[in-house]
Amino acid sequence: MLRAVALNKAYRRHTHRIQVLTDLTLNVEAGEFLSIVGQSGSGKSTLLHLLGSLDRPDSGSILLNGRRIDDVGRRERDALRNKTFGFIFQFYHLLPELTMLENVMMPAMISNGIFSWMGRRRDARNRATAILERVGLGHRLGHRPRELSGGEMQRTAIARALVSGPKILFADEPTGNLDAESGGDIMRILESFNRDEKVTILMVTHNPEMARTTDRVVRMAGGRLADAPPAPAGSETGIPRGVVIAAA
Amino acid sequence: MYKLLLCLRYLRTRYLAVISVISVMLGVATLIVVNSVMSGFSTKLRDRLHGVMSDVVIECPSYNGFPLHTDVMLERIRESSVGGEIAAITPTIEVFAMLQYRYPNGEGVTRPVHLIGVDAKGRSDVGGFSEHLTDPRLRADPTFALTPEARGRFEALNPLPRTVEPMPKPLAEGELPPPEAPPSLPRDPKAIVIGFAIGTYRQPGATSNTANKDMVVLAPGDTVSLMTIGGGRENPEPVHSSFVVNDYIRTEMAEYDSQYVYVSLDYLQTLRAMDNRATHIQIRLKDFSKARKVVGELRKLFPSGLYNVQTWEDKQSTLLSAIEIERGILNILLFLIIGVAGFSILAIFSMIVIEKTRDIGVMKSLGASNGGILAIFVGYGLLLGVVGCGMGTILGLTLTTNINEIEQWLSAITGQDVFNRDVYYFDKIPTNIQASNVTWINVGAILIAVVFSILPAIRAAWIQPVRALRFE
Repeated sequence: MLRAVALNKAYRRHTHRIQVLTDLTLNVEAGEFLSIVGQSGSGKSTLLHLLGSLDRPDSGSILLNGRRIDDVGRRERDALRNKTFGFIFQFYHLLPELTMLENVMMPAMISNGIFSWMGRRRDARNRATAILERVGLGHRLGHRPRELSGGEMQRTAIARALVSGPKILFADEPTGNLDAESGGDIMRILESFNRDEKVTILMVTHNPEMARTTDRVVRMAGGRLADAPPAPAGSETGIPRGVVIAAA
Repeated sequence: MYKLLLCLRYLRTRYLAVISVISVMLGVATLIVVNSVMSGFSTKLRDRLHGVMSDVVIECPSYNGFPLHTDVMLERIRESSVGGEIAAITPTIEVFAMLQYRYPNGEGVTRPVHLIGVDAKGRSDVGGFSEHLTDPRLRADPTFALTPEARGRFEALNPLPRTVEPMPKPLAEGELPPPEAPPSLPRDPKAIVIGFAIGTYRQPGATSNTANKDMVVLAPGDTVSLMTIGGGRENPEPVHSSFVVNDYIRTEMAEYDSQYVYVSLDYLQTLRAMDNRATHIQIRLKDFSKARKVVGELRKLFPSGLYNVQTWEDKQSTLLSAIEIERGILNILLFLIIGVAGFSILAIFSMIVIEKTRDIGVMKSLGASNGGILAIFVGYGLLLGVVGCGMGTILGLTLTTNINEIEQWLSAITGQDVFNRDVYYFDKIPTNIQASNVTWINVGAILIAVVFSILPAIRAAWIQPVRALRFE
């Protein structure tokens, strides 16, 4: 479904150049729940940002269902982020001026102008309410982020990311700022969406236990995928599902 | 839709932006008050100037008067193509003169004046004469006949010399007393109307609220002497006459009240040997908008050189232009106040963009476009401008409407006359709220608010989403 081919990405600060990704190739199957693990600075979040069209690679290509998305225009990239991709972050990133319900309705508000919104706001409100109830926050619709716990905010972020029915969810350390219990709740929610709605999930995590609960784990080191055993015949990626790759 | 929602939420929650709103509000309010007051002054001044001058005036540069007799000129004007536009017309003589009189303490005073010879009723029909007389009887029925009070005082101050009568002979028995001699003929003093500031003086240190602040120097019934240049001769020769003060003229314009004196046209023509000539023809039009057309036609009848045909605005163009220039410069300077408010918007928005960097990254990750982010901040600037203008307009109109009450309150608190009524001869601060002015002020202020929000908005729009999400 999603394929990265020979990605390279470097960051420049004045004359100093830092190579973050080097010739990275990765395949993600539809409906897969993939974990990306590695030490800090290994390029995990950078890979996630490139795959999610939040940034452009210096070289290489990214294909979605066989079509390149790394070189599309700005408008198409915005549409991808609004409709096809969903994002959740370690620090939730909810808009503090808006209520929970309004935060979850944001993707719909972004994709509609004022006049088209008039005809669609009821439907958007119903969808947002339904998904917040599904993540257990049906009773907090009118609350603002500052009135919620970390776990509740992350659940709201998940609802916002999935309200428009995206194909792929990018999760950058979703449990990194939560206690074990809250982190477990988040993982259960993600697994339910992966299982029931067949949402493909790419998750960056430092937690090996959480990584083990996913379909597949890839390890990154030094901007590359760690060496893996040769792929069995017929496998596209060369990395069997459910196998944890040892560090290089 | 999210743009409007965020603009409104930022307005309610970003207290720092209140500073921008207050800046715009104060700038707009100041501009409205100043423009309204200056417009009021300008309008009042124009009305006053127009009130003492006729719509159109034909003047002769020579003190000897027009080459044509007055009757001939008036007939030609009435029969011209613009005769139908004329509501009233009257000849006058306007010359330089020296006025001599005595203060109550006996000290002699000689001062230059503008001597105007008018037909009282004719000049009143044209406007700018009878309505400024202080005696209500003369306002209603303008004339140069002395009022009973003026005549009475004149005769009391100037008794007729007594003739020494011979001692009556004692009557013989049965003899009847001789018949009484007939009374002598009454004298015929000429009346003069003098400017109020000539006949009075203001007590030193008096304010507009001081009772009896104006001391009378020349009262009705007092005698003055006038000397002016005679007309109709090869060489200028002085002529003089005595007059009796009949009334004051009070236009509340210092230039007129301190320099102008009015006498009968007929008498001045006789005094100056001008025959039936005048130096000015004053014309009031039925519709002032036709003034240019009338002036154009009259200039054909009376070519320039010996005749100068002008509207009152032409005559006062220097003063009127000065007022407009002053107003224009003041507007420019005051708009700088709003410019300062614009810079505060620029600074505050720049801070808000920095503060909202991560939120901008989040919105972009949800699919918001650069244009959408730009629109949020430009819309926010527009909203601040609109709110500030709305509040500023309400404040400005309130202050303007109650400016005299505010002035009195300030004068009472400070003990100083904030608005010295003697400088302008106005009873209260004149104001003139013009909807067009208020509209332009609001449009300009909103434009400034929007323009100064563009740069921070562009910065916000072009933030890289990844960099924004990582912003600490």
